[in-house]
Amino acid sequence: MTEPKNRGMFGVVGLFESADALMAAIPKVREAGLGKVEAYTPYPVHGLDKALGQRRSPLGGMVMVMGVLGALTAFLFQWWISGIDYPIVTGGKAPTSWQAFVPIMFEVTVLFATFTAGLGMLFFLNKLPFFGHPVLHAQAIADITRDRFGLAIEAEGDGFDVEAAVRALEAAGARPIEVIPQPSFSGPMTARYLERSLLGIAIACAVSGYAMYWAVKLFPVLPPTSHMLVQPRLDPQKPSAFFKDGHGMQLPVPGTVARGYLPLGLASQEEAATLVNPLAVSEKVLEEGRQAYMNHCVVCHGPLANGVPTLTSAYGAKPANLQAKQFRDYPDGKIYWTIVMGKNAMPSYAADLSEEDRWAVIHYLRALQRAQNAKPGDLDGVKLEAGSGPGSEGKAP
Amino acid sequence: MKAEAVRLPEELQAPALTAGLVTSGSLDDQVLKFPAKKPPLAWYVGFAITSSIMTLGLALIGYTIATGIGVWGNTNPVFWAFDIINFVFWVGIGHAGTLISAILFLFRKRWRNAIARFAEAMTIFAVMCAGIFPLIHVGRPWVAFWLFPYPNQRAVWPNFRSPLLWDVFAVSTYFSVSLLFWYLGLLPDIASMRDRATGKIRKAVYSVLCLGWRGANSHWNHFEKAYLLLAGLATGLVLSVHSVVSFDFAVSLVPGWHMTIFPPYFVTGAIFAGFAMVLMVLIVVRETMDMKNLITAYHLDVMSRVILAMSCLMGYAYLMEGFTAWYSMNPFLHSIFKNYFMGAYWWAGWLTLACNVFIPQLFWFKKCRQSYVWMIVIALAVTTGMWFERFVIIVVSLHHDFLPASWHLYKPTLVDYGILLGSFGLFFTMVLLFARVLPVIATTEMKGILPGAQPHVVKSEE
Repeated sequence: MTEPKNRGMFGVVGLFESADALMAAIPKVREAGLGKVEAYTPYPVHGLDKALGQRRSPLGGMVMVMGVLGALTAFLFQWWISGIDYPIVTGGKAPTSWQAFVPIMFEVTVLFATFTAGLGMLFFLNKLPFFGHPVLHAQAIADITRDRFGLAIEAEGDGFDVEAAVRALEAAGARPIEVIPQPSFSGPMTARYLERSLLGIAIACAVSGYAMYWAVKLFPVLPPTSHMLVQPRLDPQKPSAFFKDGHGMQLPVPGTVARGYLPLGLASQEEAATLVNPLAVSEKVLEEGRQAYMNHCVVCHGPLANGVPTLTSAYGAKPANLQAKQFRDYPDGKIYWTIVMGKNAMPSYAADLSEEDRWAVIHYLRALQRAQNAKPGDLDGVKLEAGSGPGSEGKAP
Repeated sequence: MKAEAVRLPEELQAPALTAGLVTSGSLDDQVLKFPAKKPPLAWYVGFAITSSIMTLGLALIGYTIATGIGVWGNTNPVFWAFDIINFVFWVGIGHAGTLISAILFLFRKRWRNAIARFAEAMTIFAVMCAGIFPLIHVGRPWVAFWLFPYPNQRAVWPNFRSPLLWDVFAVSTYFSVSLLFWYLGLLPDIASMRDRATGKIRKAVYSVLCLGWRGANSHWNHFEKAYLLLAGLATGLVLSVHSVVSFDFAVSLVPGWHMTIFPPYFVTGAIFAGFAMVLMVLIVVRETMDMKNLITAYHLDVMSRVILAMSCLMGYAYLMEGFTAWYSMNPFLHSIFKNYFMGAYWWAGWLTLACNVFIPQLFWFKKCRQSYVWMIVIALAVTTGMWFERFVIIVVSLHHDFLPASWHLYKPTLVDYGILLGSFGLFFTMVLLFARVLPVIATTEMKGILPGAQPHVVKSEE
């Protein structure tokens, strides 16, 4: 009270018994125009914003912007990941189909919006945490957070008249009234404090770094993380006790027969003569036969099966001319036997041609023999057949 | 008199939300004294029991992780069993809290203020319990962070078309938002506790926790706006979370799961189970902490009515499920639906129906809405029924899959039961701790709705 213009003054706060009393007092105190008028209440009191002339909270707009940003972020993130960087096709959907992104877009929108609303309110708009505010160090705060309604006239600039403020609050019916000085900050930001904090941070870094080093080193080799490593299996260049013989790859059980490679079970070529080709002739079978013939037979027997090899004669072998009468009259079974068992210089082709392929090759060979030994009469039959079948040009004229 | 003419009949008047004389000061004295007081012996006994159960559960989780999830009863074709049932169950329990704090806030149901704090706390604890189960179900929980989309040296990303990934986002968002919502509500209450605290350490802790809240009106201005926005956003969130949980089932092709009714059906069930749990816990709080004047018979009555309404909705959902099965003319769906009530697990189907639809109908009687015994019996029935509902949905639908050769009856092991029990231990341990450390009733919100708390005439300023 010694100096009316007090630089070290925060303001004056007076307490009211009820929200009604507070509301009634505000216009009177504001009229005096002594400084910024602010109310301190235990709970939000409706209508105070208007009475104090405080503007509407801009939080709604902030939340809206951040919510939209959240939706966009989530959409672009998912679209880029699922559509471009790492496309996964599930359910036959296009990688960039957006419908499946909606749930996560919604969640991220809510996340952005709520954190903007909550933390934006606390940290950005209300400038909290702030432990040094003068009101927090006043006597009145205990009553304010309990059940009293504080009205404060706060200093704006240098010309704050404490006595006038006290009088104004008294006239409005506040009691008790407290003059709140600016608290003196001894402050934690001394050199010694900074030194200590830096030392503390350095020690914490060293300890956590060392702990992290060992964690990264030990974590993968300690159970249960190591369970995937210690399973019984064969490692390269390492002995393994998993199988008796120490090998990783095991021989098949004796007597194992692979699919399509049933043993012949016949003693001689003469016995094989009775075998009947189980495949019916069709375009598909002939095509299969042609392919197998071209892959395995053609190098020696020639493309026309006439024993003129496509190889050079440097090999010195004399492949059979399958167009010879002997082979044209050969039963299918004998050819089959030859493919399986080999003959003279010809090795067994049992490992290369499956049962089906062998019979297909025989059909194809018969087709080749027929083509090379055509008779004039053949054409009549073809004409007749062509005439009865669709797409025949021969009979048109 | 004019005032006489306008007076509403008694049954239409808003009921008193507190009993006896309650003022802002007495409210603080009554609610905020607990954190400063030494708990009674009964609390220690309760805490010893719940924390031992929790320890048992944690030990069994440790055993599971060390050995592998082969110690559970899950096997082909029932790969989802107790863990997912418990997950859905606990997430559901949490929903009542958000409903009370968000949806009832938007509807201006002022009776919510007395029970909101506890319900919100239960939300957070329930989601914590729920979070454990998917984590341990992945088998190698130390690499559970692979679920999150983060750039990694393997250059792979998670599949954003999988409902399981939606779940990760939905539940983690739900937990963070619930925590934020709860903390914001607590802030002014902690400020009150700070100013009441006498101990130096207590004062320092509360000071930091309330971030130096001082009740300035410019702060309240933003605070109220934030609270309103959070309530609006949490409303959408609470409806979405259990919908997304239901997508885990509905988006698959398993008969009995692949139904459009699942999202609303799950949300209803969640609110139903959550309210039952809140009712049970609040009855205990009301009696042991002497809160009869703040949590009145009216509150219990209203909560019972909510449970009744939800029960009817559940009955409707079950009917619709049956109707969908019949109307689909799909023999697989027919067979699954028959299995619910006539298969190997027929008892679970009937238990669900009895506990969720028939027993809560007792709340039509006023006597049941006013008697502790009936309320607790019905709430227990609902909790049991809702757990078994998830059992029926998950196990019964899975145990007869598309390949009859692999049909298999699921039998849980002791470890399964132990972990389920342990999650209840964790939940109630957290509840007991909360009841002793933080204000169990939102005193700030209650102050705002006491008679005479708001100014009578709000003058429009020039």
